Amino acid sequence: MSDQVLLTTTVGSFGKPDYLQKARNANARGKLGEAELTELERRATEEWVRRQERLDLDILVDGEMYRGDMVAYFAERLEGFRLGGLVRSYGNRYYHKPIIASPVRRPKPMTVDWFRFTQSLTDRPVKGMLTGPYTLLDWSYNEAYRTRRDAALALAEVVRQEAEDLQAAGARYIQIDEPAIHARPEEIDIAIEAMGVVTQNLRAKTISHICYGDFAAIYPKVLDLPVDQLDLAMANYGYRWLELFDRDRFTKELAIGIVDVHSHQTESVATAAEGIRRGLRYVSKERLLPHPDCGLKTRTVEESEEKCRVVVEATKVVRSELARQATPAKTAR
Amino acid sequence: MKTTVIGAYPKISDEHQDLRRALHRHDRGELDAEGLSGVLDESTRWAIGELDWVGVDVINDGQLRWDDMLAPFARAWEGCDRGPLERFYDNNTYFRQPVITGPIATDGKTLVRDFEFARTVARGQLKAAVCGPLTFATLAEDRHYRSLWDRTLAVADAIASEIRGLGAAGATLVDVEEPALVAHPEHFAIARAAIERLAAAGVPLALQTYFFPADPLLDALTAFPVAQIGIDVRSRETHVLDKLSTLRQTVVLGIVDARNTRVETEGELVRTIEAALKRIPAEYLWLAPTTGLEYLPHDVAVQKLRSLVTAARAAGGVKA
Repeated sequence: MSDQVLLTTTVGSFGKPDYLQKARNANARGKLGEAELTELERRATEEWVRRQERLDLDILVDGEMYRGDMVAYFAERLEGFRLGGLVRSYGNRYYHKPIIASPVRRPKPMTVDWFRFTQSLTDRPVKGMLTGPYTLLDWSYNEAYRTRRDAALALAEVVRQEAEDLQAAGARYIQIDEPAIHARPEEIDIAIEAMGVVTQNLRAKTISHICYGDFAAIYPKVLDLPVDQLDLAMANYGYRWLELFDRDRFTKELAIGIVDVHSHQTESVATAAEGIRRGLRYVSKERLLPHPDCGLKTRTVEESEEKCRVVVEATKVVRSELARQATPAKTAR
Repeated sequence: MKTTVIGAYPKISDEHQDLRRALHRHDRGELDAEGLSGVLDESTRWAIGELDWVGVDVINDGQLRWDDMLAPFARAWEGCDRGPLERFYDNNTYFRQPVITGPIATDGKTLVRDFEFARTVARGQLKAAVCGPLTFATLAEDRHYRSLWDRTLAVADAIASEIRGLGAAGATLVDVEEPALVAHPEHFAIARAAIERLAAAGVPLALQTYFFPADPLLDALTAFPVAQIGIDVRSRETHVLDKLSTLRQTVVLGIVDARNTRVETEGELVRTIEAALKRIPAEYLWLAPTTGLEYLPHDVAVQKLRSLVTAARAAGGVKA
């Protein structure tokens, strides 16, 4: 895989199979034990590893079969947090928004066992998946820390511990998502400082996913975020963020979203391939990674699979175009 | 000194999830539009009942039928479609971005039925609410108008028509929810021209600003032709409280933070109210949460309202 270009990947979550959704509901009502639920989560994870291999994705994820929400999952495992009542996110979607009630501490690793299990199932690399400190702060209520910076730096410390444990467990890619990074553009220095705490000792490739917000408001400043790769939703925005790169060169690896995740319909392979070609105008094929815009947890298993299929097919179309263009060079080698 | 609410009330609580279930059933085709509408009415009754029961003086209908602040208008107006999900300012809450595809037009009756229903339920004084024209215009994707000025004034004309409709249905006060004004103070001249068109509808207006500090706009706000101006003095760093005497309108002071779960103590709130009363007379002071309570879990929203009402009474302005 090392000489492959346009490595394909996904943002992290996939649709959960019906049996797992039912089991989670039963568990929430106290009608199914933790051990039984974990067994089903492992089964669903293995199914998703096989699907990703079958789809021929290059860099895999565990699919987050064991997570509901990307902030609540960590809030439930960190000391200092408690879960509040239901709050609406959009439409008819609600979540338990966490409350930082006292200083945070990580009693033990939160995702390392799932990483080990998933990586043991495949030879392809699996990404370690974490939520970044600024997003953990912004998507929680802060009752414990005097300032938002104080809270972000305290959260950065526990995310750093988790990221270093993932690296020690063998993770070659560690993704630290910051979808809230543009919530308050005037606070981007806090997000950058906090990410610096997380990644300071990492040798693994570091990635941060950013979506749903005014990316223009934080560009080019966001290039100072201390990660190797930015992972951006583009299809949902008609690729308009690419125009920003005309003015200020994009200097990181770019994981480019080429299919919208919030629609039941998926773009055609041709449309998705055009997205990759647009990305190639700004980022070299070695540094461009096609993927769906965002996590696929709001989609069904079949829809998730279809979106990934289109990503991989579109990538293969563009790879063969690139190979044709490069034929003379290849002969020379 | 009256207490009031602005914006949306939580649509469900951890215990009361009828609406959430009904919407799921509607999505699956198990509940028709009429059935869903019935549940929406029942949920509205529940929200209004709670606002009345806590003792808020001037309430709204809780906006339970609003998916987001722009949705009722984007759905009803000609020339508008609904586009992709977007983040609503600095909240982890999302809205469907309106897409303006042609000239905006409305019959002015978008909110009339819901207002009339709420009037049959509310015990106390009921006010209506509309989306601020600058907020709608800055959040929409525009494929028709040529400038922010043109777009905002076209939206303002449509909203003025909605306000006339509400006035004819008996509304005596309409909140104009305009976070864009404080998010983009540089557009205040456009916002003012738009609000002038709304004021021409002849119904008293309350211009509600929130999410961002109002400090840079305080002088400019005095010239807006509205009866009330809502200002958040709790959730962000601001010095507005010291300068309230600048304003000539009634001030709707946002004193409980509707975006944080820490419940303000009565002492804290009374101190804020007393500071405000040093600058403006009690007849010109209303008290409110900083924004819509839907950003809080239901149980905390109720606790915050209780604090608000208790503090208002303790500060002496409201007879229990």
